[in-house]
Amino acid sequence: MNKAEADAIEQILAGNRDAYRVLMDRHFSAVHRIAFRITGNQADAEEAAQEAFLRAYNKLPGFRRDASFSTWITRIAMNTAINLVERRNRDLSQHGPRIADNPSAPDQTVQMADVYPGPERQLLDREAATLRAEALAALTPMERTAFTLRHMEDLPIAEIAAALNVPANSAKQAVFRAVGKLRRSLAPLAGGLQ
Amino acid sequence: MTHFSEEDLIAYQLHESSDEAAIKRHLDECSDCAAVSDSIAETLRVFSSEPVPPPDLDRNWQRLRGNLSVLTPAPRRARFPRFLLWPTAGLAAAALLLFAFVGIHITHNGDRIADLLPSLDRLNHTNTAINGHGPLTTEPTAAADPGMANHLDAAERLLTEVNHTSGPLDPADRAQARQLLLSNAVYTRTARDHGNLAQAAVLDDLGRVLTTLDNEPPSPHKTLQVRLEMNTSGLLLDIRILRQNDERQNENRQ
Ligand SMILES: [Zn+2]
Repeated sequence: MNKAEADAIEQILAGNRDAYRVLMDRHFSAVHRIAFRITGNQADAEEAAQEAFLRAYNKLPGFRRDASFSTWITRIAMNTAINLVERRNRDLSQHGPRIADNPSAPDQTVQMADVYPGPERQLLDREAATLRAEALAALTPMERTAFTLRHMEDLPIAEIAAALNVPANSAKQAVFRAVGKLRRSLAPLAGGLQ
Repeated sequence: MTHFSEEDLIAYQLHESSDEAAIKRHLDECSDCAAVSDSIAETLRVFSSEPVPPPDLDRNWQRLRGNLSVLTPAPRRARFPRFLLWPTAGLAAAALLLFAFVGIHITHNGDRIADLLPSLDRLNHTNTAINGHGPLTTEPTAAADPGMANHLDAAERLLTEVNHTSGPLDPADRAQARQLLLSNAVYTRTARDHGNLAQAAVLDDLGRVLTTLDNEPPSPHKTLQVRLEMNTSGLLLDIRILRQNDERQNENRQ
């Protein structure tokens, strides 16, 4: 950890709350980015990043000074974001519409060809982002986290596994399952996959 | 010809394969596997990185700042004597000792628990939350609501009891878990509405454990999972901290 961050932590522990802004300015964007990959939307990403920074703050008295604040806060944020996604999924399954009640999506794949048939290519392009988001949302929180962080953020499997508190092989399998599911979600696309 | 599985080919495309050279040779000869491999590559392209909208740092800082309490450094040595000078913190230290005892107790008795628990180190890590820096938040909140205090009390009792018993949950405990789950949802929402994220987070953790209890763990293994979760998350301690904050706020008002 560099001197500016070490100094900021000293000041915080001496009672200066505003010194935490130093750590926030340096790391909030990166933490938010990770949280966005896991939650898939801006509002939840901000909530998870906020909560992660609050948790880290409250644990600062026990933080080892020779450790990296960046690695530490990232790990907390990953956990917080996954917990948030699980909470959202639970709320949805308890109070929201059930997938089984929706006959058009029996297996959670994206029924692109049926919904946007024929030559409406532009509409297809415009909706592509939404469909990608839906396909990602159909993954389990662990699959989504492992996939987005490995493939989109290029984090090593070992780091992802440590943050998820699972063996490296489980994290790797989660990535593979995610890619398989995403591939099948694209299958109905015209001219797509065999 | 022996083909490669989809999983092998995904590993290959992600450069996670231990057999990269052999797969590459096979793909040059086998059009079936090459087609699957291409479609995996296409999937990875479609789901490549999209830009993340940047967060508003000032707004986030303002929100966070309102939830920060004033910290003091954790004393390196002589932690307990200092604690015991401060009655509330002394109580926290007692809770810590009790919790450590429970942890050790389980570790001694436990068959697989000992292996699964990330040791007492994890417990101590969680305990840094009570190392003398007081409340999780300085904001006056719904914690001063006597209903909330009763809720936390009841939750702590239930969790302590579940933590100390083995085998399936008895019907009375399960009924209480359901009751607490309902009130917990209300308190969680209130805490969130007040912007008290720390409190909301603890209540959320509590809600998760209560949901599991309410869902009637069908097997001893599932029950073990619940106990494990409660131990590793330090939930009981977090509840005690909230409970103490609540007491302190009530004292300040009198
Ligand atoms: Zn082949």
